[in-house]
Amino acid sequence: MGEPSTTPSPLLQVHGVSKRFGQTEALNDVSLTLHGGEVLCIVGENGAGKSTLIKVLSGAIAPDAGSVQVGEAVYESLTPAEAMELGLATIYQEVELIDSLTVAANIFLGQEPTQRIPFLVDARVQNARAREILDTLHIDINERLLVEQLSAAQKQTLQIVKALHQESSILIMDEPTSSLGLEETRALMGLVRRLRERNLGIIYISHHLEEVFEIGDTVMILKDGRHVGTYPCGEVNSDFVVRKMVGRDASAFFSREPAPIGDVAFRADSVTWNGIVRDVSFDVRKGEVFGIGGLVGSGRSELASILYGAARPDTGRIVLGNRELSLRSPADAIEQGVCLVTEDRHVYGMFPERSIQENVAVVHNEFTPCRVVGTRSEAALADSMIDKLRIATFGRGQSIMNLSGGNQQKVMIARWLLDEYRLYIFDEPTKGVDVGAKQEIYALIVDAARNGKCVIMISSDMPELLSMSDRIGVMREGRMVRVFDNDSDLNEQELIRYFMGEEENNGDHEAHTEHQ
Amino acid sequence: MTTKLTQNTNKIKTVVTALARNQWFFVLVVLIVVSVFTHSMNPRFFRLTNILNVLERISVLGIVAAGATILIVSGNFDISVGANLGLSACVMAILIRMGYSSEVAVALGILSAIGANLVVGASSVLFRAPSFITSLACISVFQGTALAITGAQFQTIYGRFEVLGATRLFGVIPLVFIVCLVVYVAVFVMLYYTLLGRRVHAIGSNPKAAYLAGINVNANKLIFFAINGLLVGIAAALFLSRVGSASATTGQGMEIRAIGSAVIGGAVMTGGKGSVLGTFLGALLMGVIGNSLNLLRVSPYFQDVSFGVVLLLALGVTSFSHAKERRGTTG
Repeated sequence: MGEPSTTPSPLLQVHGVSKRFGQTEALNDVSLTLHGGEVLCIVGENGAGKSTLIKVLSGAIAPDAGSVQVGEAVYESLTPAEAMELGLATIYQEVELIDSLTVAANIFLGQEPTQRIPFLVDARVQNARAREILDTLHIDINERLLVEQLSAAQKQTLQIVKALHQESSILIMDEPTSSLGLEETRALMGLVRRLRERNLGIIYISHHLEEVFEIGDTVMILKDGRHVGTYPCGEVNSDFVVRKMVGRDASAFFSREPAPIGDVAFRADSVTWNGIVRDVSFDVRKGEVFGIGGLVGSGRSELASILYGAARPDTGRIVLGNRELSLRSPADAIEQGVCLVTEDRHVYGMFPERSIQENVAVVHNEFTPCRVVGTRSEAALADSMIDKLRIATFGRGQSIMNLSGGNQQKVMIARWLLDEYRLYIFDEPTKGVDVGAKQEIYALIVDAARNGKCVIMISSDMPELLSMSDRIGVMREGRMVRVFDNDSDLNEQELIRYFMGEEENNGDHEAHTEHQ
Repeated sequence: MTTKLTQNTNKIKTVVTALARNQWFFVLVVLIVVSVFTHSMNPRFFRLTNILNVLERISVLGIVAAGATILIVSGNFDISVGANLGLSACVMAILIRMGYSSEVAVALGILSAIGANLVVGASSVLFRAPSFITSLACISVFQGTALAITGAQFQTIYGRFEVLGATRLFGVIPLVFIVCLVVYVAVFVMLYYTLLGRRVHAIGSNPKAAYLAGINVNANKLIFFAINGLLVGIAAALFLSRVGSASATTGQGMEIRAIGSAVIGGAVMTGGKGSVLGTFLGALLMGVIGNSLNLLRVSPYFQDVSFGVVLLLALGVTSFSHAKERRGTTG
């Protein structure tokens, strides 16, 4: 582990940055310091505030409080153009390159060398200079290739090269290895090391702790938007980091009423889809809440789409009750008694311009043999849901866009309470929801279980998963790697280890610490 | 006393803000202002014959604009309605000239309009292309077909189909306008009181969410296009009956005016929201402005200019009121 080279003044400082989104505290008084030649790794669970912090640094969002200091200059907030000018380059997971241009053209985009004739790009000079840059970094990519011909790893590398060419002094990398294979990851690690030698400051965000310990100088831990601590990588181990990432007061947990659990009523057998969901098997009993945990991108939502008929599995069987389901569309699934409260209601759930009444009644209208709508009975249904779920609104005619997140989510759930279903799937049911509404939504989920329904609840919220689930299935890289009985022995620390795939490497170590 | 007064002013304020949120209200205000101004310059404006003349003239456009409203609210665009109307009118005229009864000719002409519109919709569904683009391609298909079947000749029917265009109810009210009103009532009921209307709104507002709520998005899209085709066909019949002839250029530019009327009336270009009443007033405003310019002896070329200016103003009002709404959003 190379010591950070002794630069007296840091490249980048963040002072007490806070950011709220509605009811959620995405960042609360977070500070960091980055020196030249330092690789600072940021770790934390889903929703710990890593992405928000990056967005503050790249100028995508303005913080509510705090400041960003680059060298001597202090900024309350940055615009993307300012961030770039200050030498802060963010490399996102989604690649921001132009597919139809060559590697060289992408590197020089916006600052193309021109010939004597104005407006004509001198491709020869451009290619030669691109070659030089690539060579100095020992990168083996042909500068004349079109970007669309590159692999994911090469594109990632090219983004870094582009940032370097723009003379960025600080690189922010957001899960750069998430779509890379083993070899490619190694190559990228090598590149990061060479950049460190060139005295760049690097902020590296990753879920893979082995990467963190391989290349990081310091590790910064975020939890629920708060800064837990920053430690030199040489002085801590992955066990310590995991423990710091989780662990909350009892107040974060919800104590639910138990529901009587009956026979197995739902089964998924070796469900596989498109390399994203791999050979997933599990069952759910009547009255049971089956939690599914895992990192974002582990295939959880895709599994939900398959169970709901929005994607057709390549292989595998889905059985509900005594019948095997062959679902061709969500409409099929609804008719068979499967319902889904989608993740990200803004994209997959709401009709933003439409009223609460229309948003509540849409499924009911579609599946009841009645072609006339806007009647008194429809209004009564909407009003009964507003009452029952205590949706705070001026009336059923208010457009859903103007409700708070919690109330919007209640409307999404109300959609499925007008009729009876057999399997309820909740995908991130309390995302962007305030604490009060959270409790109410939990009560609704428990209600469904107590009525003898099968409930599948996908969640990134650890306390939620542990408080609500009877059993918890952990998904990682498309597989359901383990199903836990949710008894008193199971804790956040153990779960997050399975999420991140740390259980094999640290199995012995874990046993050791527990005996202490 | 004072509290009561403030209460009253508050009440008035809420009513005004509620009205101000509806774009049709702005259109109505503009309509009244233009009418009063024209009347003050030329008192012939408010004569019954002139008003009936305006209503008769906007009927064809109004029906096409009603169809455009359905499509825009559902998140679609059909810019081939003008060419489709021309083709449908040519089919009717040719059949009448061949000696078929006007009923048969109109029925087949309407079927041709529905079929043509289904081509636009189906190609959009099949190729997963925006209907704006597929309808753009269809313009030349429809116009070319019309040119081919008419041999680029005017198809005049010499008074053999005047029943729609010339009939006056009670001797005064033009039948074409009655047909237009009936269409508007039907479209209004369809959009706001039927399951189909809910689907129009849901698909236009968020097609992904509509699909996940169990709505068959593609099949419904085809139904919307079929309905639009039906309305275009009805408009073609009214046009032919009123004018007495059709050619391949019939209906040219109609699409711009129809979509423009819907937008002036408050239809949102991104779908999910629109107003049938607004569209009607938008079409009426077009007719009144054209009529006013005539009465004020302004060059007819300025009609196009005024149409464009009104459309731009309407877009400005929409964007302004939406920006306001967005600011008012919580959480």
